[in-house]
Amino acid sequence: MDASPSYIQSYCTIRDRSIVLNGTIFLKMDIATPLADFLKSAYRQLDIDYPKFHKMDSLCKAIFIATELMARHSGPYASDTALIFSNRSSSYLSDNKHATGIFDTENQTASPATFVYTLPNIALGEISIRHQLHSENVFFIFDRYLPEFLVPYTEAALDDKQIEHAIGGWTEISEHTCDLLLYHIGKLGSIPHTVAKLKRIYNEHE
Amino acid sequence: MKAAIFIVGDCVISPLGMGSTLNFEKLLAGETAVAPLDDTTLAEHRIHAARIADHQWVGKIQNASKYTRLETLFILAIQNLIDTYGIPVDRRTLVILSTTKGNVSLLHNPAARFPESRVYLSEMAHEIQHYFGFENQPITISNACISGALALSVARQLLQSSDAYEHVLVVGGDEISKFIVSGFEAFQALSDGRCRPFDRDRNGLNLGEAVAAAYVTKNPTDDAVCIRAAGSFNDANHISGPSRTGEGLYRSIREAMRLAGEPVLDFISAHGTATVYNDEMEAIALHRCGLSAIPLHSLKAYYGHTLGASGLLETILGIHSLRAGELIPSLGFQYPGTSKPLNVITQPIARPMSRFLKTASGFGGCNIALIFEKV
Repeated sequence: MDASPSYIQSYCTIRDRSIVLNGTIFLKMDIATPLADFLKSAYRQLDIDYPKFHKMDSLCKAIFIATELMARHSGPYASDTALIFSNRSSSYLSDNKHATGIFDTENQTASPATFVYTLPNIALGEISIRHQLHSENVFFIFDRYLPEFLVPYTEAALDDKQIEHAIGGWTEISEHTCDLLLYHIGKLGSIPHTVAKLKRIYNEHE
Repeated sequence: MKAAIFIVGDCVISPLGMGSTLNFEKLLAGETAVAPLDDTTLAEHRIHAARIADHQWVGKIQNASKYTRLETLFILAIQNLIDTYGIPVDRRTLVILSTTKGNVSLLHNPAARFPESRVYLSEMAHEIQHYFGFENQPITISNACISGALALSVARQLLQSSDAYEHVLVVGGDEISKFIVSGFEAFQALSDGRCRPFDRDRNGLNLGEAVAAAYVTKNPTDDAVCIRAAGSFNDANHISGPSRTGEGLYRSIREAMRLAGEPVLDFISAHGTATVYNDEMEAIALHRCGLSAIPLHSLKAYYGHTLGASGLLETILGIHSLRAGELIPSLGFQYPGTSKPLNVITQPIARPMSRFLKTASGFGGCNIALIFEKV
């Protein structure tokens, strides 16, 4: 069952205040660093000029950074790379900001710049623009990282669409914490795309 | 060769009433659910929207006080499918939920009487699972306004790739809230009257609410409809505006048509939100596909934009149209209003039909096209 026709090309975790690409630390900061500052530092360290980054919410920023880093190792991504993402909180950070604006402030206002981020799949739109991915996007909501569902689903999606690549994983962001594991799947390589392997990678940094 | 997958049953709860046959008949009679709405808990001023009345759901499930309004509607739709089609509540049955915002009306809302944790979609899924005692955790999809149609595609793929499930219940729903109204208003996307999809004078959308459910399985019945093919592509162009070339929708339709073997379509159930840019984008994509002459409707002037339910709701009504051999007119259309012409259906037409194309597009640049065919 766990024999997989696909392989992990690269993977990235963002947890606590560290970013790790294929097991190598890209950035590590003090645990007390605010999440927003940490993501901004990571963007600076990427050394790219992409002003749209600063408009994004933290969910999009974290996904953007991880996707950017993986592209440096196993990119550029094929334009038909499927995006199969999941988390627990959907777009809670932006939802919370929008709801605060319309209920809790003196002058109740709704901002289009906030509202547009109140959908989790906006992040998939952001990386599709950045990497010019014309592909299927799906955003699942689970109460925890569920490789038991995602691995067979991703394999079936590759087979169904007759494509070779996917980017997927778990992207749970709250105001202060980030629990992200993304991986780039392809047909060549040495790390099998299996539930067991992904569970190991996910749990390594706990 | 992959197994054929069928929609063999459905349920619709909309402001027009409960039951898909009832809803279909009301559309053919020209009834619309979109009406002026003066409710200061939603907006400071009058909006035009389609809202489900309290008598349709209040007190209709067990332990009613434990469930939110939207959960109650989801539960009613699932219960209806289980009862009507005798679907077992065991490990062979999987529920797929499709919603953009779930219980978001509870968030920061001083009138809410549920804990804010209920805003999490996984909590909502958990409540629905345990109401019925389903063994499998529901799969929840939140992918903007293509969620409902995408959930059908996901159901199809899951049934084709695994023998773990025999019955998949795909249920989509969203409700109108201040959260959503204020957001669309901030985008200046709301129409000042009933919306006019594809019309010259269209000036925005109406919000609506509905729960729509489809029973998807490998085992066809006499009146089953096959989910023949699907294509879904991102525009990779803009997160909140449709592509000017309709690129993602064009690719989605082309892929679905190619996979289905370039069949002749009897009609197209378009997304047709009635915003200036969306409808123009759809006309361009259809023109690029050579499908401008196919009869087409949008159901948004009947129901408003029901967000995570819309793709499912409109598919189910398309299936009724297919079976009955009657084209549903596109309410609100008077004068052509897109740079590429479309064959918008303006009156009910009876004719034998075999298949239709359903499309949807959403924020984040996502698009989907599905082809449904009579058995």
